[in-house]
Amino acid sequence: MKKAIRDKLLLGWFWVSGLLILVILLAIIIYLIWRGGPFINSQFILESPRGFPLGTEGGIFPAIKGTLWLILLALVVSFVPGLLTAIYLSEYGRSGRLAEIINLLVQSMAGIPSIIIGLFVYAFGVVTLGWGISLLAGGLALAIMIFPVIVVSSRDALLAVDENYRLVANSLGVSKSYTLYRVILPRAAAGITAGLLLSLGYAAGATAPIMVTAAAVIASSSGALLEPVMALPYHLYILFNEHLSLNYAYATALVLVSLVLLLNILALLLNSLQERMSKQ
Amino acid sequence: MQYPDTEFKEKIISSIIISAATVSSLLLLAMLIFILRESWPIWSQIGVSGFLSGSSWKPLNTPPEIGILSMIVSTMWVAGGALLIAAPLGFGCAVFLAEFSPRPLAAILRPVINMLTGIPSVVYGFLGAAVLVKFFEVKFDLASGESLFAASLILAIMVIPFIVANSEAALRSVASEYRHAGIALGVSRQYLTLRILVPLARKGMLGALVLAFGRAMGETMAVLMLAGNTLRMPGSWFDKGEPLSALIALELGSSTPGSFHYQALFAAGLVLVLMVIAVNIGINLLFNRLQKRGDDFI
Repeated sequence: MKKAIRDKLLLGWFWVSGLLILVILLAIIIYLIWRGGPFINSQFILESPRGFPLGTEGGIFPAIKGTLWLILLALVVSFVPGLLTAIYLSEYGRSGRLAEIINLLVQSMAGIPSIIIGLFVYAFGVVTLGWGISLLAGGLALAIMIFPVIVVSSRDALLAVDENYRLVANSLGVSKSYTLYRVILPRAAAGITAGLLLSLGYAAGATAPIMVTAAAVIASSSGALLEPVMALPYHLYILFNEHLSLNYAYATALVLVSLVLLLNILALLLNSLQERMSKQ
Repeated sequence: MQYPDTEFKEKIISSIIISAATVSSLLLLAMLIFILRESWPIWSQIGVSGFLSGSSWKPLNTPPEIGILSMIVSTMWVAGGALLIAAPLGFGCAVFLAEFSPRPLAAILRPVINMLTGIPSVVYGFLGAAVLVKFFEVKFDLASGESLFAASLILAIMVIPFIVANSEAALRSVASEYRHAGIALGVSRQYLTLRILVPLARKGMLGALVLAFGRAMGETMAVLMLAGNTLRMPGSWFDKGEPLSALIALELGSSTPGSFHYQALFAAGLVLVLMVIAVNIGINLLFNRLQKRGDDFI
């Protein structure tokens, strides 16, 4: 009898914790819309910060631009090495010794705290190579941060492609690179793109690495590689921490979360497309 | 049979791919070596034990005092506390998703968990500071509501999705024979889950917890905005503290490159990275030990 009561309690706990997760996400989003929504208008999106101290009026346009520059640069830097590593792991190395080691290294890299990547890029790019606090340094830091994400998601997308394609191509005498280019990659394209979108969202929200390498309180974010940029997550931190404007902080948070969730949802849709495609 | 020039082309392509993969994966080691090099003067002059056990951080004094014990303790409090809160909820949710949730609800919950991981940590930190800390200040009449506990609470929300996803995968990977045998014997769903599936998936669920611990230790923004950032040794969970990640983020920009202060921050970074790596290696060893003891008693 006692056991029955305990089981009932545990069952109740499972329901509570499952529903709590749902409530937390809804609460976060509804609260952000409630507090930040009223301040989002065309002026907020399209103008630069104004007022005294700077940021109490105006908008966040340079921060949006800066974040887009940063994630674009990160993607450009790490897409090719990431995809090549994934191709090695899924098509060339497979279960070899080297592939095992690379897999382990990539996995460990995914566990490295992002502030440590910032620390490394600060010493290497900002100080040693003399880039200074700059878009270039921030893009590099984010590129290192998303590299393992790109490798793992592309590798899994490639591995999900039906093994029969490889066997058939091989038995017909088609070369490996041709098979890869014309048969395997097109079938993994949706999954690979989904991984890229996810990693872009991850990069857009990262604050610690750009805080020490790229971000400025105020900048034009023109896209010049060796100049500091504004970025949405850092701008949010400054607005709140320096007590500039709580309302604008909520609005900035809402813009940032919408951007990241949009990228995540697109990735989810592409992933389900991939599942259908790789089964064909 | 392939033509010689095709074969040559294939060789070139495969060697490009191999070298690209090798070089970019070695970046991890390059980073560690670089950070070790930058922090070297600290290890040779102050020594490992002096740096780790010193509890006073005054890098600008002459002579500078640099010890990071209070930051290490803060990091452990924040991350350990986060797990204490997140584990029961995360495991509960994983079991719910894997066994008890009605299908349509699970179809909503999975993307929701995905989205929770997507929300940037600075947003969690901001909401924690603007809502939770304010609430503590009003409710308990404190001058400032920041504490290691507040940081743990927000970190818990951030790591729950990881615990859920990994433990659910562990529960699902239990061989279906056990499920079928249980159903054939007519045991209740609760009995099947709690006495058969959960014990069998214990290893994977423990692994999920340890991974979450590593993540929590390295988290920066939320911790920076919530832990209070005082350099004293925290006496309890409800004290303020400054974890390692926050220390680096706050002081790196203002330290002069090449100075003792600068080198000490790299030494702190190295300690943080090694702690995270040690945790990850730790679970691998643990798994192997458990594996050797046999699967009959997991």
